[in-house]
Amino acid sequence: MARFALSVFGRDRPGIVAAVTRVLADAGCNLEDTSMTILRGHFAMMLVVTGATELGAADLEARLGPVAGRLDLQVGVRAVTDDVTAAAGGGARYAAAVYGADRPGLVARVSEALAARQVNIIDLQTRVVGEPDPVYAMHFELEVPSGRADQVETDLRSVAHELGVEVSFHPDDADVL
Amino acid sequence: MAVRPVLRLPAPALKAVARPVDGAAEAATLAADLVDTMRAYDHCVGLAAPQIGVGLRAFCMDVTGHPKARSCAGLVVLFDPRVVDAGVPVVAREGCMSVPDLTGNVARPATVAVEGTTPEGTTRLVEADAIEARALLHELDHLDGLLFLDRVTSAATDLFRRRQYR
Repeated sequence: MARFALSVFGRDRPGIVAAVTRVLADAGCNLEDTSMTILRGHFAMMLVVTGATELGAADLEARLGPVAGRLDLQVGVRAVTDDVTAAAGGGARYAAAVYGADRPGLVARVSEALAARQVNIIDLQTRVVGEPDPVYAMHFELEVPSGRADQVETDLRSVAHELGVEVSFHPDDADVL
Repeated sequence: MAVRPVLRLPAPALKAVARPVDGAAEAATLAADLVDTMRAYDHCVGLAAPQIGVGLRAFCMDVTGHPKARSCAGLVVLFDPRVVDAGVPVVAREGCMSVPDLTGNVARPATVAVEGTTPEGTTRLVEADAIEARALLHELDHLDGLLFLDRVTSAATDLFRRRQYR
């Protein structure tokens, strides 16, 4: 069994998911984790799929060619050999929200501060809203090395102050009920 | 008195609406098995009968010692429970023994009052907040065939792969 990472991107319209996943199903691929959403009017699909070993990334991309052409989609396929479910883990879950007047470099500056403390970003959603003074909002799901949460919060507040944006940071651990 | 296997998705019993206990013959054994099974798992603060394959409206719960507990009624075992009062919803992350690989953000009332019948046959009212309220509502959902997955609105932002039990 081979595993592939696919990205598909194009102007949003009805039928993209149906067309792309039909090609994958007909190729004998099984969809694993996927994320598909609209980003500023463009539909973005990221998929991890498994398929037969003899199916190559180039072969799969070629099979998607007709659909990509018809729906004007950019498609990328590559083989992934590592076990995607066994990502390095550990640490405590936290959520952080950062928002304020939009300016270049916000995400870079905030994520650099997180990376400097070995904080792993598990999920990041960002949106820019409003005219003529756009507001930028980021929502992070984080895995923070144990014992480092206070330092990370201090760093985030320092960066937020420097950038003139707001920040909130709180534990986001799950309870098994 | 036994620790019973906890069913996991896609077991159909988890999606069935449970029947009233209403004096069923197996009720006493069920109550004991629920508690024994809950106690067998470190992180478990509640268990509903459908999770051990019994389609009856019964659950047990105990948040004693939980770091997020405020109200604490101790060990609670109720048959045919019903919500008699519920407060304003809050969102928190929860997981489930029957859905081992995922956790999700779920909005549930921050406070709740639940009334049911104890295994001894008396009526008991439990008024709860914080984790105890969440646990009560989570277990009551099981009796209606509902999992936390049914209450997650966005997989992108509200559903997470759980790592600690892998």
